[in-house]
Amino acid sequence: MLTTSRRDFIRLGTAGTAALGLSTGVASLSGCTRQPMRVAGFQVLSQNDLDFLSALAPAILSESAYPGPLGEGARERLLRGLDQVMVTLQHYSRRQMQLAFTLMGYPVTRLFADAPLKSWAEATDVDAEQFLSGWKDSALPIKRMGYAGLCKLFAMVWYAQPENFALSGYPGPPKKIPYPVNRTRPAHTD
Amino acid sequence: MTERTPPIPVIAGIKDPVLEGIASGWDVTDAVDMTDGTLLQADVVIIGTGAGGGTSAEILAASGLRVLMLEEGPLKTTNDFDMQEISAYRDLYQENAGRMSKDGAISILQGRCVGGTTVINWTSSFRTPEQTLNYWREHFGVKSASPAEMAPWFETMEQRLNITDWVIPPNENNAVLSRGSEKLGYHWKVIPRNVAGCWNTGYCGTGCPTNAKQSMLVTTIPAALNQNSGLIYNARAERLIFDGSKVIGVEVTALNGDYQPSGTNFTVTAPRFVMACGGINGPALLKRSKAPDPHKRVGKRTFLHPVAFSFAEFEQYVDPFYGAPQSIYSDHFQWLNISGPAGYKLEATPLHPGLAGVLFLGHGKSHFDNMNRLTNTNLLLALIRDGFDDHSQGADIDIASDGSPIVDYPVNKYIWEAFQRAMITMAEVQFAAGAQKVRPAHLDAPWYDSIDEARTGIMNLEFRSNAFAVGSAHVMGGLAMGEDKSQCVVDSNGKYHYLDNLYVFDGSVFPTSIGANPQLSVYGFACKLANQLAVNISQGIA
Repeated sequence: MLTTSRRDFIRLGTAGTAALGLSTGVASLSGCTRQPMRVAGFQVLSQNDLDFLSALAPAILSESAYPGPLGEGARERLLRGLDQVMVTLQHYSRRQMQLAFTLMGYPVTRLFADAPLKSWAEATDVDAEQFLSGWKDSALPIKRMGYAGLCKLFAMVWYAQPENFALSGYPGPPKKIPYPVNRTRPAHTD
Repeated sequence: MTERTPPIPVIAGIKDPVLEGIASGWDVTDAVDMTDGTLLQADVVIIGTGAGGGTSAEILAASGLRVLMLEEGPLKTTNDFDMQEISAYRDLYQENAGRMSKDGAISILQGRCVGGTTVINWTSSFRTPEQTLNYWREHFGVKSASPAEMAPWFETMEQRLNITDWVIPPNENNAVLSRGSEKLGYHWKVIPRNVAGCWNTGYCGTGCPTNAKQSMLVTTIPAALNQNSGLIYNARAERLIFDGSKVIGVEVTALNGDYQPSGTNFTVTAPRFVMACGGINGPALLKRSKAPDPHKRVGKRTFLHPVAFSFAEFEQYVDPFYGAPQSIYSDHFQWLNISGPAGYKLEATPLHPGLAGVLFLGHGKSHFDNMNRLTNTNLLLALIRDGFDDHSQGADIDIASDGSPIVDYPVNKYIWEAFQRAMITMAEVQFAAGAQKVRPAHLDAPWYDSIDEARTGIMNLEFRSNAFAVGSAHVMGGLAMGEDKSQCVVDSNGKYHYLDNLYVFDGSVFPTSIGANPQLSVYGFACKLANQLAVNISQGIA
């Protein structure tokens, strides 16, 4: 069970690897316990996290849509990609990101983070763009860090999907045909 | 638009020497298959299998010792290398290629797999510059490491890993650097690479699919395993166990397929231990272990060669994803002075779509438009030589609540001043090479249409954290070598000053950054130090 303490929230302000940030002022207001709603097929991200991330995705990746040929499956692909990245992070890094996402799930912390007051599930692309622009140029280093972290993570996951190579004109890598391993002959005879 | 294809469409017929070795009976174990609570024994335990650990393993195994290599990362081999960023970042890099400094400002590409960073680096191989070796002697009391004393060790490793100047013409991404430098009268040269039979495909960063790169995975580690040594992977060294002035064991945590603790733990004991886990994880291991450190120097001065980037757009295809990633460099601005304003080395940056997406910075339509022009995009980088001035103290390595390292590297005005100079230099080179427009990797920077516009624009860019890309692919220092104990924690033989049987043979011993891609520096020093240790052991004095 993922339980967080006030100390953990405060430490959020000095996040390490791949962590997204919020000010300690925001963090200290929230003495909440993370209550993840498990979502089928996701190992780390909760329903609240998915609402937050998918509200931002079109605004980050283009303006108002998921670019590329994935169409209906685009949202699912991105979110699964993000989940796959998070599941391999070291415990500390992963928890920092989870805490940041969790804070985005509460109206009071959204208020202090200059995020839309309405839930992310109801947020429009305009709301998302305002939020991103605010963080991008914020005077608070922690918000700039959050902005940069989100943009890097989304771009890495999105453009590395083979179906999306066409977006950058990248023809893709050569086809690799693995060589069968000979299990009877020693590899080294000298 | 006609559909384009990779210059080499298929890679087939490449053997997997590691899988074959395992089939032939090598002692290689996945840590999760160990029985919980097992106690193992070896003559030497080596923690980490990158440039330092791999080199040391071959030398110590050849001297007749039973070496046990521990590697935190997974074992991925030639047949796994599918040239996709997703699988490579997940399986071969620290933190899914997302390792960052504490404030998020620096993105650190560091390996985490059997073979370490040598599996995913871009093969550039330079000897430690003589200015750097001399600086270490003068400022840290490093002994027996003058340029003349080091030369034979570099030569040995150059031969071992087939390091020679690259003979195939550079790809366009690198040709921008030679062409532009030539026009401007700037120094440039061809990069020596550790490859044998390279196919020039451009996938050094995702694990070499053709075994051409002479990484530790296909050279020294197999050699050690052929000499009665062992390897345990997915095995994170959690802490060292001390008895007085000796290390008597290392506690190991097994990691599962998602690189999380599997619940299995075991202990390895040996008469001597070699740490080769890099300038971030090495200090973290010593801090978790509460190793003796009277001057509080463990995890101080970890250097990263902070990297500034400059994009350029060309009329012709650049295809920065294909061809040897780095084949040209310029040291024109590297050694104008030793201390004072930081020098920098210019090289090219290979760009696959995921990495490009990260480095372009920003979001929305402008980011999307940049991605759209990737085929015609060149990216130069400038490695800032950090650690040679009082204003450049590098990172402090702290440990988080779970014991994982936190890299506290303040990108200060000293670094930013070098970034601005380097961004202007890169723009000069790119325009001289025929670029239509140039944009440094800074959120506020537009595409500049001329060098005059670029000069003015770059000088007016705002210095604020996370507004500009700072990369690093080189982790150095954190456990400085030298006889001056007020600054250094290992002696000139790589022995930890305060423990009788703990050695550090990797890039973490460098007292400053190298001022060049560091892999050959790591090989050369590890070769020297491991040979010395083998001699001392044979004489019964280690």
